[in-house]
Amino acid sequence: MNARHAAPLAAAAALLALPFGLTDFWIFIAVEVLAFALYAVSFNVLLGYCGMLSFGHAAFFGVGGYTAALVVKQSGLPPALAFACLPLAAMFVSAAAALIIGFFSVRRTGIYFAMLTFAFQMLLYAIALKATPLTGGDDGLTGLKPPGLLAQPLAYYFFALSITGASLYVLHRVVTSPFGYVLRALRTNALRVQYLGIDVRAHRLAAFMLSGAFAGLAGAIFALSNGNVFPGWLNWTASATPVVMAVLGGTASFLGPALGAAGYVVLEVLISGRTEYWSLAMGVIIVILVLVMPEGLTGVWRKGIIRGGACATPLPTREAR
Amino acid sequence: MSNPILQVQSLVKSFGGLVALGGVDLTVEAGEFRAIIGPNGAGKSTFFNTMTGLLRPDSGRVTFEDRDITGEPPHRVVRRGVARTFQITSVFPELSALENVQVALLAHARRSWSMWSRARALGADRAHELLALVGLDGSAANPAGTLAHGDQKRLELAIALAGEPRLLFLDEPTAGMAAQERLEAIRLVHRIAGELGLSCVFTEHDMAVVFAVATRITVMHQGRVLAEGTPAEVRARPEVQQVYLGEAA
Repeated sequence: MNARHAAPLAAAAALLALPFGLTDFWIFIAVEVLAFALYAVSFNVLLGYCGMLSFGHAAFFGVGGYTAALVVKQSGLPPALAFACLPLAAMFVSAAAALIIGFFSVRRTGIYFAMLTFAFQMLLYAIALKATPLTGGDDGLTGLKPPGLLAQPLAYYFFALSITGASLYVLHRVVTSPFGYVLRALRTNALRVQYLGIDVRAHRLAAFMLSGAFAGLAGAIFALSNGNVFPGWLNWTASATPVVMAVLGGTASFLGPALGAAGYVVLEVLISGRTEYWSLAMGVIIVILVLVMPEGLTGVWRKGIIRGGACATPLPTREAR
Repeated sequence: MSNPILQVQSLVKSFGGLVALGGVDLTVEAGEFRAIIGPNGAGKSTFFNTMTGLLRPDSGRVTFEDRDITGEPPHRVVRRGVARTFQITSVFPELSALENVQVALLAHARRSWSMWSRARALGADRAHELLALVGLDGSAANPAGTLAHGDQKRLELAIALAGEPRLLFLDEPTAGMAAQERLEAIRLVHRIAGELGLSCVFTEHDMAVVFAVATRITVMHQGRVLAEGTPAEVRARPEVQQVYLGEAA
């Protein structure tokens, strides 16, 4: 074992031991962290690697959540079987949504891409609100719960941990694969990528679908823990969440957004328990953090501690602005 | 001379009312080192962009190795065996020089869809060879964005060569270089093209560079071909001197 593996192993050990020191409430929060960590990392596959700012990523988190809820409540399958199908179903439906949304959106870049993803997400929000027989309308879908033993917070934590862990492994393999190299190249110079003989739009669409599928999986994990899915999951404010998490953690590193998600969720819990003006306080804190650490938490980490040669993983470095 | 690698017939491209290419013909024989010269605004860059698929021509035909490639998008054109470099150097600034070439190699090997294998070592040996070929092996680990301008131009050449092209378009390969650097740069391209049996089409403003390496010269003016011939022939044409050589000097 070398230094390369030390940090991930230590993190894995800490995550395995973590829930034994926590109350049920904090285990519930830890599950939320895991779900949003996956959500933020999958989002950052687009922002950090491809340079595509999706401002409608809640579409996939929400579609994943609703898919999970519908599979559990409406499929008529025995609870255990429905639950077993749920991760793949959520990924499949979100990927299909990403195929349709991406087909139109990845033709554009920059602000136009952001606006297109935003518009499609608002379309889904409207559907969630109005298609009451399917989605429960304003009330959402409630009373979801995992079957049997998994309904216990501790067991569900380990379920969420294994799903998130496996997903992050897959995503890391992808971003360090030849396909991932192409994405990194795309971020800075799509024209050159075209002139390498690569179909830029097709690769962007594939990245978009991959990102959407895992965002959907994150939504499904959270839906079952939360017990409810609401149309608000698809509202535009929900699309800002992964953006803030990714920027907070650092878009230039693979796990940065996961750290950002942990910080965001825990901060939100701590502050909302103390003041009704919690969103104001969150806003102020985030503004300060971003000003102090323009490259996010992981930017501070890389600069201060492992500068020079010992960087744990080959990260897509980004020039400081 | 009857083995054209590239044939362009009456290529027309206009932007709104502005006619950028007013019916351009060009025939490049295999193994040629063809210069396309002309004053700014003569349509050289539009010509390159239209031939390589970045722009769709309004009419006309582009044939590469007897295949009609008119209007094909750049990635298709490139896969047929064409490469190009840009007037404004086009590399991946955040990737190392080695990774720049690796990306080009994996694209050429059709591995861009491979999502599970590790990319780090992929094609590293070949990438080092290509960097050595352009004299950049010492900078393999440096981010491309930190390389000197001339080195970035050479890196772009290595990227282009990674695709094993048979025809190479170079849009002002010496742009932004000092006078003495320019000759060195074009001679490097010329030598490599000779070794690999590449045909080249390049645009250039510096006449010393053009006359040092070009086998034939095409002179463009206001979106049309004004003259074409060997360097000696072109130099002798009075209308060329009037339009271009005189004012560039």
